[in-house]
Amino acid sequence: MEEEGGGGAAGSIALHDFSGQLGEQRVHFHAMRLRDSLFLWVGAAPALASLAVAMCSPRDSIPVAASLLGDPSDTASSCLAQRLASKTKKQIFVSYNLQNTDSNFTLLIENRIKEEMTAFPDKF
Amino acid sequence: MEASPIVTSKQREEVVHGVPTEVVCTAFSNSVLVVVTQYGKMGTIVYVDPNTIGDNVGRPSLTTKVLLGKDEPLVHVCAKNLVAFVSQEAGNKPVLLAMALKDKTMEGIQALREVIRSCQVW
Repeated sequence: MEEEGGGGAAGSIALHDFSGQLGEQRVHFHAMRLRDSLFLWVGAAPALASLAVAMCSPRDSIPVAASLLGDPSDTASSCLAQRLASKTKKQIFVSYNLQNTDSNFTLLIENRIKEEMTAFPDKF
Repeated sequence: MEASPIVTSKQREEVVHGVPTEVVCTAFSNSVLVVVTQYGKMGTIVYVDPNTIGDNVGRPSLTTKVLLGKDEPLVHVCAKNLVAFVSQEAGNKPVLLAMALKDKTMEGIQALREVIRSCQVW
């Protein structure tokens, strides 16, 4: 049971690691699929410095988000969480730990995640 | 592309006092993430931070802060009981704890602590 979560029962937590060369930077991703929710860590070094949560709201077309940990004025985590919540309709926890929060760059990040979601739908 | 993970995780599924439980521990350079769930969800998220000053016995005291979920005394007590040893053994690193518990009895917490210990990544 200690190895990386394989394709266990649908209810169980699945872990999935992947990475991508985005521009000049190698970015690592660590995803943890839970029941109706997803935790996603993004970073170049193995530190966890921020955390945000987002989920769809029946009152608003834009998912609601909250910053839980780290600098609340740094909206990179909550923005990404909102976008992923919008796509997956799940509760999304995101920890975004990259200096580069340029919108073009975060779009690359988002596309890399979506690509992985398409390739491994059972992991998300 | 499947890369070797940059962070180490260990997970375990076990029936604890009759309740199916899942534990996932992930080691980051500056903290440890511990997920303990009996609902399959993240549940309440608590940040357990060791103070550098410490108590009278020389052990660092722990500050617990509920980041998401019900902020009630029992949550703080459970959090400290579950992961104080993780923080200590990890060299006084803060622990980010996500817990969704059906069984919050003392015996239940004690048993959960052993499951967390079996997922040692720190």
